[in-house]
Amino acid sequence: MGIGYTAGKPAGIMIQLFHVSKYYDRRPALSDINLLIEKGEFVLLMGPSGAGKTTLLKLLFGTERPDDGQILVQNRNVARLRASAIPYLRRTMGIVFQDFRLLPKKNVFENVALPLMVQGTSTFEIRRKVTEALKAVGVDHKKDQRPATLSAGEQQRVCIARAIVNSPIILLADEPTGNLDPHLSSEIIELFKVINARGTTIMVATHNPQVMAQANRRVLRLDQGKLVAD
Amino acid sequence: MRRIAYLVKESMTNIRLNRTTTLVAVASTAFTLACFGVFLLLYLNLRGVVSSLQDDIKIVVYLHDGLSGQGLSDLQQRLKGEREVATLSYVSKEQALADFREQFPSEYHLLQGLGENPLPASFVVTLAPRFRSSEAVRQWAKRLTTMAGVAQVQYSRDWIENLATVIGFIELGAVAVGSILSAASVTIIASTIRLTLLARRDEIEILRLVGATGAFIKVPYLLEGAVLGAVGGLLSLAILRGGFDLFKLQLGPTGRFLGVESWLNFFPGHVSLLIIGAGLALGFTGSLVSLIQFGRASA
Ligand SMILES: Nc1ncnc2c1ncn2[C@@H]1O[C@H](COP(=O)(O)OP(=O)(O)OP(=O)(O)O)[C@@H](O)[C@H]1O
Ligand SMILES: [Mg+2]
Repeated sequence: MGIGYTAGKPAGIMIQLFHVSKYYDRRPALSDINLLIEKGEFVLLMGPSGAGKTTLLKLLFGTERPDDGQILVQNRNVARLRASAIPYLRRTMGIVFQDFRLLPKKNVFENVALPLMVQGTSTFEIRRKVTEALKAVGVDHKKDQRPATLSAGEQQRVCIARAIVNSPIILLADEPTGNLDPHLSSEIIELFKVINARGTTIMVATHNPQVMAQANRRVLRLDQGKLVAD
Repeated sequence: MRRIAYLVKESMTNIRLNRTTTLVAVASTAFTLACFGVFLLLYLNLRGVVSSLQDDIKIVVYLHDGLSGQGLSDLQQRLKGEREVATLSYVSKEQALADFREQFPSEYHLLQGLGENPLPASFVVTLAPRFRSSEAVRQWAKRLTTMAGVAQVQYSRDWIENLATVIGFIELGAVAVGSILSAASVTIIASTIRLTLLARRDEIEILRLVGATGAFIKVPYLLEGAVLGAVGGLLSLAILRGGFDLFKLQLGPTGRFLGVESWLNFFPGHVSLLIIGAGLALGFTGSLVSLIQFGRASA
């Protein structure tokens, strides 16, 4: 499937962008992005506010469509994917949203269980996986509380738990340490490294230099919608 | 299992969230179905009356006074051979006189004054079911008058025919009222569901983000609509039952005297279920309409 890749395709390609542009009100949020991320990579996406980091993650996740170019995620052309196929793509991905996106009327456990719930995982499996994810981010003691009663840092960790609960093939994280103190930030980065070591491809958008220093991985730099350094 | 429990719980939460609009939606469905139900009650009851009257249609074939014994048995054979005839009974002149005496004892002396028995002998025919339509009766009666020995053929059909016309109008009315009000109640349910959808727009978005399919997201709203509709249907049955009993009470002794009461029947069980089912379908359709609109708006 897709374009130009038949024989000789490297086995390990996870994400690929060809000349991708995205406009909001005719102003480019991303312009002519070309990018290749291999299976198992841990990539940092850096750049000033408004550079287009969130936009790029949204394109990969299928919540926005590019105005130009092609996007391949796990060899599926996200730009052309049928609406009915998108849920199944998302089930293989985890995403940490910059604005958390937690359900205010459900408690922490239920929020983290949601990705499993929508695909009909058994009650037993849900309990096991949710507990494991909550422990990994260190908020399992808050599992019966509603998000509003949690600190921003705790909400962020709940959001991370929800993103990893499904053992995703790709983890996309948008400022996952934005509300965490240096100590918690470094714990989360260590957690991501562990997850990455198990084979999950990770892309983290951040402008936190601490994260960059600690992760010590490939860095993509965006500025005003352009990829300026790789 | 957990998924189903989740969906049911969601739809119940929706119903609790906007109690007022839910009540309006249920009430409007109940009103729609009650109006329709009034027509249906009228229709079913009148149709029952007509068919019991039609069972009763008797054709009286009066015979010429001078008919010989041979002529009489020929005619009887001939009538028996007709497809239209279900039962055939002979009433002799003497029998006719005796019947008259029994039915109108005070008038009997009038006949006595005439000396000779003036009442003709007759055959009383009841019709086979498929020849009970007024047109068939008319055709057949016409043919009977041409048979040897037949003086006159009598049957009463005019008012039965009129009743059939009335029933036709009621049928039309039920369809008209039913479809107009159904459209109204689908619209009202649709806007109720739309309110829920708008209130929960963020939640729906999050469900999408974590990989919920369109069907999974829609089910609670369809369920909500169906429940509202079915409850409306149930309520309409209660209203109709109340109205029906009140009507019967109003008729009181007059009704009993006219024998109307025994004709009046409430819906049999399967029709009641059908009305609840109709409510459910209205509610489901209303949901579907608003989901389609919502899907277009958010796409
Ligand atoms: N829905 C939208 N409608 C209009 N413009 C948008 C929309 N989303 C993003 N933009 C614009 O696109 C550009 C890139 O935004 P984006 O959110 O990708 O930046 P970012 O790199 O994530 O910034 P930050 O670090 O502040 O999160 C910005 O100029 C922003 O105003
Ligand atoms: Mg952003």
